[in-house]
Amino acid sequence: MKKVMVLLLTCMILLTACSSGGKDKEQAASGGGGDAKSKEITIWAWDPKFNIAALDIAKEAYNAKHPDVKINIVEFAQADIIQKLNTGLNSGTTKGLPNAVLIEDYRAQGFLQAYPDSFADLSGKIKPENFAEYKIGPTSYDGKQYGVPFDTGVAGLYVRKDYIEQAGYTLDDLQNMDWKQYIELGKKVKEKTGKDIISLDPNDLGILRMMIQSAGSWYLKGDGTTPDLKDNAALKEAFTLYKELMQSNTVKVNADWSQFIASINNGDVATVPTGNWITPSVKAEASQAGQWAILPMPKLPETPNSVHATNLGGSSWYVMNIPGSDTAADFLAETFGSNADMYQTLLTKVGAIGTLKEAAKGEAYTKPDDFFGGQQTVSDFSKWTAEIPKVNYGTSTYAIEDILVVEMQNYLNGKSLDQVLSDAQSQAEAQIK
Amino acid sequence: MKALFERLKFHGLFIKMFAVMFVSIIAIAASVAWTNLRMTEKLFLDTFSITNSKVMNQVKNNFESFHYSNVLAAITAQQSGTLKTFLTDKGSDESIKEMNAYYGMTQQMRKIQSTVDAYSAGIAIVGKNGRNYSGNSYLTKPNARELYASPLTKEAEASPGKLMYHLYKVKGEDGQKPVIVATKVLQETTTDQEYGMLYITIDENDFKPFYSSFTSEGNDVVIIDGSGTVISSNHSSLIGSQNAQLLSYAQDIQDQGLHVKKVKMMGKDELMLAQYLPSYNFYLVNMIDQQQVLGQMVNTKSIVLLVLVIVLVALVVVFLISRKMTRSLTLLSRQMSKVTSRNFHNYVNVGGGYEIRQLGEAYNYMLDEVNDYVSRLVHTQQEQRKAELAALQQQINPHFLYNTLASVKFLVQQDSKDKAVDTIHALISLLQNTISNVSETITVELELVNLKHYVFINHVRYGERIRVSYFVAPGCSTYQVPKLMIQPFIENAFFHAFNERAEGFIHVLISCDARKLVCEVVDNGDGMDMKQLERAKDKKKQKKSRQLFSGIGVANVHDRIRLLYGEEYGVSITSQKGEGTKVRITLPLIEAQGSDTEHGIKP
Repeated sequence: MKKVMVLLLTCMILLTACSSGGKDKEQAASGGGGDAKSKEITIWAWDPKFNIAALDIAKEAYNAKHPDVKINIVEFAQADIIQKLNTGLNSGTTKGLPNAVLIEDYRAQGFLQAYPDSFADLSGKIKPENFAEYKIGPTSYDGKQYGVPFDTGVAGLYVRKDYIEQAGYTLDDLQNMDWKQYIELGKKVKEKTGKDIISLDPNDLGILRMMIQSAGSWYLKGDGTTPDLKDNAALKEAFTLYKELMQSNTVKVNADWSQFIASINNGDVATVPTGNWITPSVKAEASQAGQWAILPMPKLPETPNSVHATNLGGSSWYVMNIPGSDTAADFLAETFGSNADMYQTLLTKVGAIGTLKEAAKGEAYTKPDDFFGGQQTVSDFSKWTAEIPKVNYGTSTYAIEDILVVEMQNYLNGKSLDQVLSDAQSQAEAQIK
Repeated sequence: MKALFERLKFHGLFIKMFAVMFVSIIAIAASVAWTNLRMTEKLFLDTFSITNSKVMNQVKNNFESFHYSNVLAAITAQQSGTLKTFLTDKGSDESIKEMNAYYGMTQQMRKIQSTVDAYSAGIAIVGKNGRNYSGNSYLTKPNARELYASPLTKEAEASPGKLMYHLYKVKGEDGQKPVIVATKVLQETTTDQEYGMLYITIDENDFKPFYSSFTSEGNDVVIIDGSGTVISSNHSSLIGSQNAQLLSYAQDIQDQGLHVKKVKMMGKDELMLAQYLPSYNFYLVNMIDQQQVLGQMVNTKSIVLLVLVIVLVALVVVFLISRKMTRSLTLLSRQMSKVTSRNFHNYVNVGGGYEIRQLGEAYNYMLDEVNDYVSRLVHTQQEQRKAELAALQQQINPHFLYNTLASVKFLVQQDSKDKAVDTIHALISLLQNTISNVSETITVELELVNLKHYVFINHVRYGERIRVSYFVAPGCSTYQVPKLMIQPFIENAFFHAFNERAEGFIHVLISCDARKLVCEVVDNGDGMDMKQLERAKDKKKQKKSRQLFSGIGVANVHDRIRLLYGEEYGVSITSQKGEGTKVRITLPLIEAQGSDTEHGIKP
C-alpha cells in the first residue's frame, strides 16, 4: 500500500511539475512581448537617399546610448504614407500605424487640425525656440508643439556656370536677380547654348509657391483656411511670370521626378530653382563637379516686399499617439530635437540641412563644397533660411494647387488672368470649408 | 534458486495473469494512441488541404481581380488618343505646346493610374519617340526608361497582344528589391504598328498581401512563373531563384487534376497544392510542411505522456487487484499441495474472496468426508480380518483329529491305556482352548498349556526324537498373547526342520522387558540358507502351505500381529544352513483384563 501511495504521489508531482512548467513559459513569453512593444518603434519616411539615410544616422546615434531600443525604419512613397495615414486615422484604429512619421510641412496642418488627438504633444520634449522660426508655424497647432522640425526647404538657384558663361554672364551678374531678369537670362542661354533654362512639371507649381512665399504670401490667408487667390497680387505676378517663362520657349517639360532629375544630370537645363534638398541629386552626377553654383533665389520684380529667400518643401517628424509614443518621442527629442553634433554628420553624409539653430554653428556648416567650386553652400543656405518670410501653409495647400494646375493650363491656353484667378478662388472656396 | 523457483511456482497464475494484462494494456494503449494520432493527423491534413484549396481559390480571385485592373488600365491606355499622340508626336519647340501635351498625358495617366491605385501599383509608359512617364513611382519603383532598357521589353514585344508578367529586380541602396512588372505593347489598332510600351509595376511586398494573410509557419505560398522562377513567396529569400522541381510538381498537379500532392522538398514532407493562373502564366503553389503544421495542432508529446501515465496507473491497479485475487488462491494451492503429507489431515485456512472461501470450505468438507470414509474402511477391514482369523482359529484340521484319534486307537490296541488317556486328555484340552474359548487372546500360561498338549500329541504320533523345552521368564506368564500364536512355528519346526537330522530339540523362550514381550522358537534342525529363507517368506505370502493343525499358518502370524498391535511388532526369522532356525516374535505387554474384547483396533 505504501508503494502505491509513493507511486501516486510521484505521478501527481510529475504532472503538476509539467503543468506549472508550461505556465511559467507562457508568462515569460507574454512578458517579453509586452516589453518588446514599448522598446520597439517603427518610423515611416520616404526618399532613401535623404530622409531614410538621415534616419539611419539618427538611429545609430540613439542606439549608441540606448542599445535596448529597436528602431524599424520603413520606406514608403510619400503618397503612400499620406494614404495610409489618412486611412488609419479616419478609421479610428491605430493598428498598423507607425510610432513616428515624416510629414511634409505643407500637409502638416491638414493632419494636425483633423486629428489633433492622434499626434503626441511634444511641447515638453523639445524647445520650439531652438528651431528656425518659419518651421514652427507648420509643426504646431493650438499652442502645442507637435512636430520636431527636420530639414529646411530653403531654396536656392542652382546654375550651370559653364552655360551662363557661354551666354556671356558671370556669376556676379546673377546675384540678386528678379524673375524678369531670369527670363531674359533664359532666352540668352537658349540662344547661345541651345539649352533650356528650367525644367518644369505641368502638375507641380512649386515655382509659384516659391515666388509667392518670397513675398510672404500664400494660397491661403493668414488664418490658414481662407483661400487667397483672386486678389493676391504676388500670385498674380507669379502667374504672369510663369506664362512669360513658357512663352519664352526656354522650358523643358518633365512629367515625373525621374525626368526632372535626368534633365539636371544630363545637362539639359542651365538652372534649377528649388529647395536645397536637391543638392545630393545634383551632386550624384560627379562628372559635373565644379560646373555648378548656388545663387540666391530671384525675387518678384513688382511685389515690393519680395526677398531673395524662399522655401520649397521641407518636412518634420511627428509622433503618433499609440503605445510606444514615449520611446518614439524620446528618440526624436534626443536626435533631431537637440543633437547638434548629429546634424554635422547629417550634413556631411547626407547633405541634409537641419533647422536646429545651434547646428548652424558647427564646423560642417561652414565647410566649402568643392562640387560647387568651393562655395560655402550650407552657410549661404543658413543665411537665407533666416530670411525666409513666415507664412501659414494652412490645411489645404495641395487641394488648391490641384485647382491651380488646371487653371494654369487654361491661362496658358489663352484664358484671361483675372478670370483664371477668380474661377480658382470660387472653386477653392467651394472645396475648402 | 530452487527455493525461488518453488516460490514462483505458486505465483504462476499471478505472473501469467499480470503478464497478459501488462501486455494487453500496453498493446491497447499503444494502438489506441497510435490510431488516434494517425486519425487526427489524417483528418487534420484532409481538412487542412480542403480549407487550403478553398483559400487558394480565394487567392486566385485576388490575383484575377488585380489582373482585371491591369487589363482595364491597359485597355484604357491602348484606347487613349492623348497618350497615342504623346507617344508618337515629335517634340515641339514651343514650351506651351509641350506643356499642354505633357499635361494632357498626365491627366490621362492619372485616370489610368486610379484603376490600379488600390494595389499601390505604378504605371509607366514609354513611346517610340522617347517620351516617357513614370507615375506614382517617385523613387520607389523602377522608372520608365530603366524598364524600357531592360530585357522585359524584348520579351513583351515577342508576344505583343498579351499582357505579360515578369519579375524585375531593382538595384537599390540596400540590395535588390523584387518588383513584379506587367508589360503591354501599345499598338495601332488597325495596323498593329507598335508605338509604345505600358508597364504596370507592383512591389513584391504589395503583391504578397494577395496571399500572405493565408500563410503561416509551415504553410507557405510560392508563385512561380512558367519557367520555374520564383516570382513571389512569403519566404523572401526564394524570390528570383529557379525551382524546376517545384514547377514540375505544379504542372503534374495541374495536368492530372490532383487535389493535393505529397512531395518531399528539402528533406521535408510537404503537402502541395497548386493552381495555375492562366492570365499570369504563373503557378500558385501552396506548400504545407506536414510536420510543422501537425506539430502545432497535435501535441504528440503530451498525448504520449498522458497515455504513459494512464498505462502506469492502470498497471499499478491491475497489479494490486490481480495480486489480491490470486494471493488467496496461491495460499490455498500451497496448502492443498501438502494434502499427501499428513494422511489427509492438512485442513486449509479458509479466507479470501467468496469463491475462494467456498472452495476452501468444500475442500475441508471433502477432507472430513475422506477421513471419515478412510477410518470406516480401516475399521471394516479390521473387523473383516478379525472375523477371518476367528474363522481360521476355529478351523481344526480334520486330518489332525483323524490322525490323533488313530494314534489313540493304536495306543489302546497296544494297551497303553494311560498314554491313551493322556492323549485324549490333551486333545480335549486343546480343542477346548481353541474352539470353545471364544476370546481372541489368552495368557502366556494358557498358550503354553496348549503348546504342551500339542507337543504331547505329536510325541505320541511321531515319537519323541524331537524334544521340546519351555523357558518362561518369571512374571511373563500373565501377559496376553493372541491365541495359537506360537503353535504354527512349533508345527513348522516339527515337520520341516528335521528332515536331514533324525533328532533335535526345540526351545520355546518367553521373556519380557519394560515394553515388549518376546517369544522365541529356536530349533537346532536343518536350518535354511538364504534361498530357502526367501522361498519360505514367499510361501508365506502365497499362503499355499497347508497347515496341519489349524487354519492359522506361519504366514499370517506376522500380519496378524501387526494388524493387532502396530508396525513395531511382528515376527522375524533368522536361519543358517545346518545350524537351525530362530523365530522371534515381539508383542506388546498386555495385561489380562476382565473383558476379552479389550484389544480392539488401534485408531
